[in-house]
Amino acid sequence: MVGQRSGISFILSASLFLLCAHATAAPPDEDIVRFQEKFKPFLTKHCAACHSGDKPKGNLDLEKLTLDLDEAKAREHWTAVSERLATGDMPPADRPRPDAQELKSFTEWLAPRVEAAEKVARAAQGRVVVRRLNRIEYENTIRDLLGVQVNLKEQLPLDSSADGFDNAGAAHHTSSFLMEKYLEAADTALNMAISNRPKPPPLVSKKYSIKDGHPVKNTTEDVYRFLDEGEVVCFCSSEWHNVSASTFYPQDGGNYRFRISASAIQSGDKPVTFRVTASGTRLTGLSGLVSYFDAPPGRPKVFEFTRHMEPRTTISLLPYGLAGANTVKQTGAEKWEGPGLAIQYIEIDGPLYDSWPPSSHKRLFGDLTQKNFKAYNFSDRVEVVSDQPLVDAERILKTFTRRAFRRNVAAEDIAPYLSIVQAKLDGGYTFEQAMRAAFKGVLISPDFLFLRERPGKLDDFALACRLSYFLWSTMPDDELFELAEQQTLQQPTVLRKQVERMLASSKAKAFTENFVGQWLGLREIDSTEPSHILYPEFDHLLKVSMIRETELFFDEVLQNNLSLTNFIASDFTLLNGRLAKHYGIPDVVGWEFQKTPLPPDSHRGGVLTMASVLKVTANGTTTSPVLRGAWVLDRILGAPAPPPPDNVSAIDPDIRGATTIREQLAKHRAVESCGVCHRQIDPPGFALESFDCIGGWRDWYRVTGNGASVTVDGRRMAYHKGKPVDPSDVMPSGEKFENVDQFKQLLLKDKPQLARAITSKLITYSTGRAPQPADRQAVDEIVAKNAAEEYGLRSLVHEVVQSEIFQTK
Amino acid sequence: MKLHRRSLLRAAGVAIALPLLEALVPKRARGSDGKSVPKRMVCINTPLGVHPAFFFPKDTGRDYELSPYLEAFKEFREQFTVISGLSHPDIGPSHDSNQSFLTAAPHPERRAGFKNSISLDQFAAEHLYGQTRFATLPLSCEGSGLSWTKSGAPVPTESWPSGVFARLFLEGRPDEVQAQARRLADGQSVLDAVRDQAKKLEMSIGVGDREKLDEYFTSVRELEQRLAQAEAWSKKPKPKVDAKQPVDVRNSADLVGKTRLWFDLIHLALQTDSSRLVTLQLLGTSSVPPIQGVSQGHHDLSHHGQDPLKIAQLKVLELEKMKTLLTFLQQLRDTKEDGENLLDRTTIFFSSNLADASKHSVKNMPVLLAGGKFNHGQHLAFDENKNPPLCNLFVSMLQQMGIPADKFGSSTGTLTGLEIRG
Repeated sequence: MVGQRSGISFILSASLFLLCAHATAAPPDEDIVRFQEKFKPFLTKHCAACHSGDKPKGNLDLEKLTLDLDEAKAREHWTAVSERLATGDMPPADRPRPDAQELKSFTEWLAPRVEAAEKVARAAQGRVVVRRLNRIEYENTIRDLLGVQVNLKEQLPLDSSADGFDNAGAAHHTSSFLMEKYLEAADTALNMAISNRPKPPPLVSKKYSIKDGHPVKNTTEDVYRFLDEGEVVCFCSSEWHNVSASTFYPQDGGNYRFRISASAIQSGDKPVTFRVTASGTRLTGLSGLVSYFDAPPGRPKVFEFTRHMEPRTTISLLPYGLAGANTVKQTGAEKWEGPGLAIQYIEIDGPLYDSWPPSSHKRLFGDLTQKNFKAYNFSDRVEVVSDQPLVDAERILKTFTRRAFRRNVAAEDIAPYLSIVQAKLDGGYTFEQAMRAAFKGVLISPDFLFLRERPGKLDDFALACRLSYFLWSTMPDDELFELAEQQTLQQPTVLRKQVERMLASSKAKAFTENFVGQWLGLREIDSTEPSHILYPEFDHLLKVSMIRETELFFDEVLQNNLSLTNFIASDFTLLNGRLAKHYGIPDVVGWEFQKTPLPPDSHRGGVLTMASVLKVTANGTTTSPVLRGAWVLDRILGAPAPPPPDNVSAIDPDIRGATTIREQLAKHRAVESCGVCHRQIDPPGFALESFDCIGGWRDWYRVTGNGASVTVDGRRMAYHKGKPVDPSDVMPSGEKFENVDQFKQLLLKDKPQLARAITSKLITYSTGRAPQPADRQAVDEIVAKNAAEEYGLRSLVHEVVQSEIFQTK
Repeated sequence: MKLHRRSLLRAAGVAIALPLLEALVPKRARGSDGKSVPKRMVCINTPLGVHPAFFFPKDTGRDYELSPYLEAFKEFREQFTVISGLSHPDIGPSHDSNQSFLTAAPHPERRAGFKNSISLDQFAAEHLYGQTRFATLPLSCEGSGLSWTKSGAPVPTESWPSGVFARLFLEGRPDEVQAQARRLADGQSVLDAVRDQAKKLEMSIGVGDREKLDEYFTSVRELEQRLAQAEAWSKKPKPKVDAKQPVDVRNSADLVGKTRLWFDLIHLALQTDSSRLVTLQLLGTSSVPPIQGVSQGHHDLSHHGQDPLKIAQLKVLELEKMKTLLTFLQQLRDTKEDGENLLDRTTIFFSSNLADASKHSVKNMPVLLAGGKFNHGQHLAFDENKNPPLCNLFVSMLQQMGIPADKFGSSTGTLTGLEIRG
């Protein structure tokens, strides 16, 4: 050994030597000897040139890699070594092939050892690490635990993600700052849940006319037509004519019911779409938006919704797609002949309570009486009192902790919180104050904040939680708790029935929002704002419609158990008027979405060609086949590309139009070391080049430099016609495609790979960690079952839930 | 589970290592007591780069000719250093580099598996703990900020100047003060109850779970310390200032207005010695800012794709932004403390996580270092392909503050060519 030149032998033996000190951790002696004699020279010969030294390729340094398979990182690396050797990916094609027999004997020696070590590690600590509730789960859990709807998410810092999802335990860290935020959030939630008022706040119940509100009352522009009984017609869509019921400005927050009566006039037979937004919140994608509505021509329609309002906020309305204020002004509202939105009235009732004190209060304190406790500026303030404080406290905390900890509790679980009550009472606190402190303790305890699971098969309560946080992003409901209590949840038929029930519930909306929102990147819809020079047609309605299309499409596939292949290519999608116009599909009008068959030449269908996905994979001004390609490999094909090397600078985009991205990339691909990866990454990206930054179809690039002028709907655009788009390319397999339609067909050839990719995403999201190499078989089993079910998405969700990987920590 | 005392101490930092009494009693180290001069540090990140051609001077050394952007700073020529060629190693070209701006944690752009580490201000705070009402002020014009804890968790940032102003300078109504006192007391007893549970956690728990729960209990412990600090400070009157509570700029596109308000507030915070460590994330919005001559969003302009019209607008916008910094330097220079001006006691690090937003490059970051006791007045130029890590500058900054650190992040030493005045 001493005489050998390679560093591997020395370091490896050194680390092995160190390990011998820990009797249990070290590999058996005969393995060390075997490795040193037989396999080390093999690695030295074929791998060490690249995978050692200062900058080992792929961050794999065989010199420093220990054989101690108790270490998770070592297992991961050795698995990669054994797999890449076995598949022939390594050594790279331009290097001499190792002797097949030698290679085989090494991988056959290594693989079972890694696998065995993985099994031992998992038995001891599970596949996943303990998960903290992320901020969405936290808010939802508080909602279901306390019965209050309160925006706590925004009070908490963003959660970091791993494997593409923000519910991964490994990515979550706790800090004193976070704990402080939890204390504050608990205060906010408890203040909301516990009532100190002797009677409900005064009820608002009134019909408002927008003529009394801003800006109708204050504007000097002649853009409104006034009819009888407070009816007002709005003719312009300029942002500053956002009309509101601003005389409604409640002092008390709470749920309010809104009934807006509206109709379209002078619109032919078409509806006029309008949006309702909540004041006090910045309108980005969906935040701040109540909804869009379609006001029908002719008889007015009443649009009803209930919404939680913060104190001193109101709602605003703005018609969509009407003329600008400056145009309407020229004729004046009376003579204006264009379409308008007539608003007859806005009727508002609230705050709404089903009982008093509110049910959230009763849920905590039952029927305990309240007595007057004055406070500064609050003379009729009441507080809960108790004749036998500790007895009541124990009873209340027992029920509360059971739900908060999502499991059965013993006396010792309650003890710390009961002692808070005791200590606070001793310190002169009132009963309610003492109870608030104890509740707060429960809400920042590890049992509440973390999803605790024990290594091995999950018990019924832990399973109920996994299921519930998977499909609802919140704690289990009473039915799940009851099944856990009876220990029947683990039965396959019960589990299947529960999944069906849960998917039918409105809470399953969280699954679509959070899973699809991250899998397909919808949450990033606001991260760039398209250039309004290049994309003047981009507007808020289009942006919101993009997100809705993808969510509704996912729901459609899920609810009807349609095949996963629909994510690649489908003969339908869900469209509203705005999006249909964007896609060039006729006969769809208004805000409401409908399942629409796609014409054969639409180039749409599947998620890759949805405007949402195309927007989030572009940056607002340019598209990059590299970024889009890498995105498709990762999200859809389940084969993420390796990260770009550090020493290569990114491409400097040129929107003047002198060179296309293909021309710029061509040089890059010609270099062999770049081409290796780019032959994989670029093809999907090139196929998608037919779509611009906001998902519109294009045959040529929009440029700001020289080019032919462009006129749309009679208006000269600020951009020019640039070079033509060339969406053709060659797959790594050598198959050619001319356009995105052909590309999709090529992707459809490998259905199991598609199923494997989506299965992996579902496992990652539902368990908090991506499947590891050791889980390959488990994933393949799920995929095989799903193939037998014709790749139905709903079946796949069932198969994931029924799998061992889902039911084991 | 046994909570490892060692890991607890390590994670809790200096706070716990200090004798309890000393940690709890607010102290005010001032120059007049003849011992130590309060030194401050303000770190600013403008997230969309600074157009290199207008920022970097063409020549190097002391006699360099001011660049178009630096021309505005000519009155401060001897009080700042412009540095080119610096970058953090192992960070790929992406907006995500923002997260590693003050931490140097490798590969934020890979997202999966990225773990952040402590930021410069939080690191310095461990050494200055207890000296001011607020150990650090992490501020942001939008969303996430620049400060990170030792475990890589984000330190929450303040987004509204009016709120920070209230916390720094306004005494609440009697009922609010009482409620706050109760919150602090309740917080401590609740944390105490929770912390005790560490003792009864099962032994059988795996390594990974133990790490997570260790981190949780360490956080609980740290928060108890911080609440005790806050309680001690809450008994002292807040400093009085003439300035009125600012009215927040609600226009999310108004990057200049928002930045100005923050700088005014930072000036007040430093002047009253309410905090000595400030981080500020500026705005990089997609919306069109209300600046004469600018008709496109900042993000859009910074990704100019070589379009000369966009570059021209970008220049207008960036100059306006640079001028807010100029005003801030003037405010500090014109404020005296113990016969010295505040600028000489405050190091200002102004840079961007992106060197050139148009190609998302992260090499050759634009660095303007002003104030403090450095030998300023030069353009320090490094070869962007063979440069020392940016963290070397961070170590120089720490040392200038009197913090005995010889390593931070990816540093290999102090920054060659940057000298501290005696």
